[in-house]
Amino acid sequence: MIRTVSTGIVSLLLYGILILPFTTYLKNKPFVEKLGYVPSVAALKSVAADHKELVAATLVLKVLMYFGGLVEKADNQVAVPPDYMSMSRLLHGAVKLDPYNMDAYYFAQGFLTWDVKQFKMANDLLDYGMKYRTWDWYLPFFAGFNSAYFLHDYKKAADYYKLAGELSGADLHKSLAGRYLQESGQTDLAITYLSTMAKIERNPALKKTYLIRLNAFKEVRRIEIARDRYRENHGKMPATVEEVVQGGLLTPVPRDPYGGTFYLEADGKVATTSKFAFSGVKGNSSIKSGEPNERH
Amino acid sequence: MNAIEITGLYKQFPGKRMTKVDALKGLDLTIAAGEVFGFLGPNGAGKSTTIKLVMGLLRPTSGRAQIMGMDSNQAESRRHVGYLPENPAFYDYLSAEEYISFVGSQFKMEAALLAQRSEDVLKRLDLWDARKRPMRGYSKGMVQRVGLAQALVHDPDVYILDEPMSGLDPIGRALVKDIIFDLKARGKCVFFSTHITDDVEKVCDRVGVINKGELLVVENVETILQRGVQGYSVFVMNPDGAKEELFIEKAHLQAFIQQSVVNQQSIEKIEPRRKDMEAFFLEIVAQ
Amino acid sequence: MTTIIRITLKGIFRDRVFQGIMVTACAFLLIPVIASLSMRQVTELSLTLSLSLISFILLLLAVFLGGTSLWKDIERRYTFSVLGLPLSRQSYMIGRFGGTALFVLLAAAVLGVAAFAVVSYSSAIYPTDRPIVWSTMAICILFDALKYILLIAVAFLFSTVSTSFFLPVFGTIATFLAGGVTQQVFEFVNSPASKALSPLVKKLATILYYLLPNFGAFDLKVNAIYSLPLPFEGLLLTAAYFVVYVGLLLSAAATIFSRREMR
Repeated sequence: MIRTVSTGIVSLLLYGILILPFTTYLKNKPFVEKLGYVPSVAALKSVAADHKELVAATLVLKVLMYFGGLVEKADNQVAVPPDYMSMSRLLHGAVKLDPYNMDAYYFAQGFLTWDVKQFKMANDLLDYGMKYRTWDWYLPFFAGFNSAYFLHDYKKAADYYKLAGELSGADLHKSLAGRYLQESGQTDLAITYLSTMAKIERNPALKKTYLIRLNAFKEVRRIEIARDRYRENHGKMPATVEEVVQGGLLTPVPRDPYGGTFYLEADGKVATTSKFAFSGVKGNSSIKSGEPNERH
Repeated sequence: MNAIEITGLYKQFPGKRMTKVDALKGLDLTIAAGEVFGFLGPNGAGKSTTIKLVMGLLRPTSGRAQIMGMDSNQAESRRHVGYLPENPAFYDYLSAEEYISFVGSQFKMEAALLAQRSEDVLKRLDLWDARKRPMRGYSKGMVQRVGLAQALVHDPDVYILDEPMSGLDPIGRALVKDIIFDLKARGKCVFFSTHITDDVEKVCDRVGVINKGELLVVENVETILQRGVQGYSVFVMNPDGAKEELFIEKAHLQAFIQQSVVNQQSIEKIEPRRKDMEAFFLEIVAQ
Repeated sequence: MTTIIRITLKGIFRDRVFQGIMVTACAFLLIPVIASLSMRQVTELSLTLSLSLISFILLLLAVFLGGTSLWKDIERRYTFSVLGLPLSRQSYMIGRFGGTALFVLLAAAVLGVAAFAVVSYSSAIYPTDRPIVWSTMAICILFDALKYILLIAVAFLFSTVSTSFFLPVFGTIATFLAGGVTQQVFEFVNSPASKALSPLVKKLATILYYLLPNFGAFDLKVNAIYSLPLPFEGLLLTAAYFVVYVGLLLSAAATIFSRREMR
């Protein structure tokens, strides 16, 4: 009796000693490890048996939680670059298992474009999804935006928007096809896209990312309008954002929610040193980066 | 019609390392209706194998067994049989009452009759108080009694009981003997195996002794008891009034009686002195 | 046989299997919480989780009830007493199978109601773009149950040849996994991508494809989750396949079992 009790107490003590380093170890595990290695989809398919949809959903949730954790860290200004490629790999695996899983497409669209700049990959994934989710207007809506905004393929974008319009029954997407499908409409296009996304988003972490980006673009739009007024008034393009502000055309002073500074490129295009990402501020103080599509 | 007919029954089991073991070597046995037959043999002699072959639980390597003229490999052959397996086990999540009614329904008994018979057998075997409890809580003796109850409930003409006395206390044994007597009186056929010679001597009409898969002898119990008589204890009173007990050999009995008249001795009592069933059994098995 | 079915059901209930299912089914309560993590398809996710949970519970039932039913009867020597009754081995075995299958159907129905409750709750809180088609969900659960009943028949076949529960239990699990991928393997073998494979392997894969049960056809989860239309003719064929395949399995099992020695 005494022996069992003392063994129990010793075991409890050992557990107490062990549990703290154990949980710390797990907490600090590298993210790649946390996301885990996805075995080949074929193998996963075999093991999943009749739970393919469940396995797919699990992969998506895994990515989602991982990303949610990072967004929280980013808020506290600890910039941890997410492992986008692993995330993408998991989501691609997920749609192989369950080609109908909307979360996967939706989420992949969320980061494959702005953050990873894999526009082609994003649209290939969306095309794949459209084969299955034939009723879903979001997929062509995303693809249309990607084509217009990132790939500047306005013809293709118009087709996608047309499809989205037909599926949703809303005129918005049809009119989108006409209204913004040109270089000058880029900011409006992005604002429309982002406000749609932010409105329908339920995941707080993602919603936040959309709202931040939307804010940034609204600021860009404000600068653009002020810039155009400046040109009307002065008959020439302002050289810097400060010029516009000093001209009294821009109050309050625009603020980049990503912590960067807005500036005007040589052709008058509005850009920011943050490149619309939290990690973008770090070590990127050079104003002229030479990158043509700074905003993407 | 004979109750049980066994002809040339041969059973081989696979043994160790590809060898074959002969469990039963060509058994011939006929048991008439209304007969109580004791199947006697040491452990491992082939008693259970024979019974399982008769019940269709095993398939004969060659030869065949019949019950009431129907081959044992047919389920219908068991329609007229009450069978008690050796160390029986029953669905232990059921109560005795439920199991009895399950058995009754397998024999297509009518509900009213079944209820009546079920009550009778449960009371007879002293299970009435425990009838609603699941059998997993029963003692070994109780399970054995359930086994007897389920063999009796449908009142068949043939009873095949594998070691009916095992696991029972003296009261239970007496009860079983009583039941067998009763069945005998009602003209039922009882075929039971045992290794206890006393059981056979008391209740059986005939006995068969089996050892190492071979049926050594089948004999009337009466005959065995007769043949076993070696001599007589004779109690005499001498003319002077003194009493005396003398042992007289079988062959000399007649002469002794004549002599006693001459000697003016009066014979009070003559008792046969014989080898009992146990001695008979041991003698046969030892051969 | 009906009495055997009744006795079997009674046994399963008295062994508290149903309570066990109910405890496991408590996981249903967590489903709305987990499903709300989804971004765009809360209802779909709660359907996915509900259907998977049902599948999982039915799988456990099929493997453990199916794999141990006959084995337990033989191991605990119940067969001596039961088979000593005027009851053919076939009807005994089929009665055991029928009772187990009936229980799986029953469990599927009860769990289906739970899933219905969970999904209605989820969809009431987070309305979906896609309307939920309840009949599709019911048919999906029914075919799921049929699949596991077929698996029980497999387990019974294994039980008739085995003296331990290892073969029935692990053999059934292996069959379940293999039966889920035969279609994929078959399609791969018959595609140009398999040029490197030796003809022998291809032949073997083809033989296995026709020999092993094809569980892929019974999986209607995608249809239920995303409200896709059900292939009516396909379902009819699948149902016929179920009847014929179970018939084959049971007659093989009955033949083996009726020759089995009860030592």
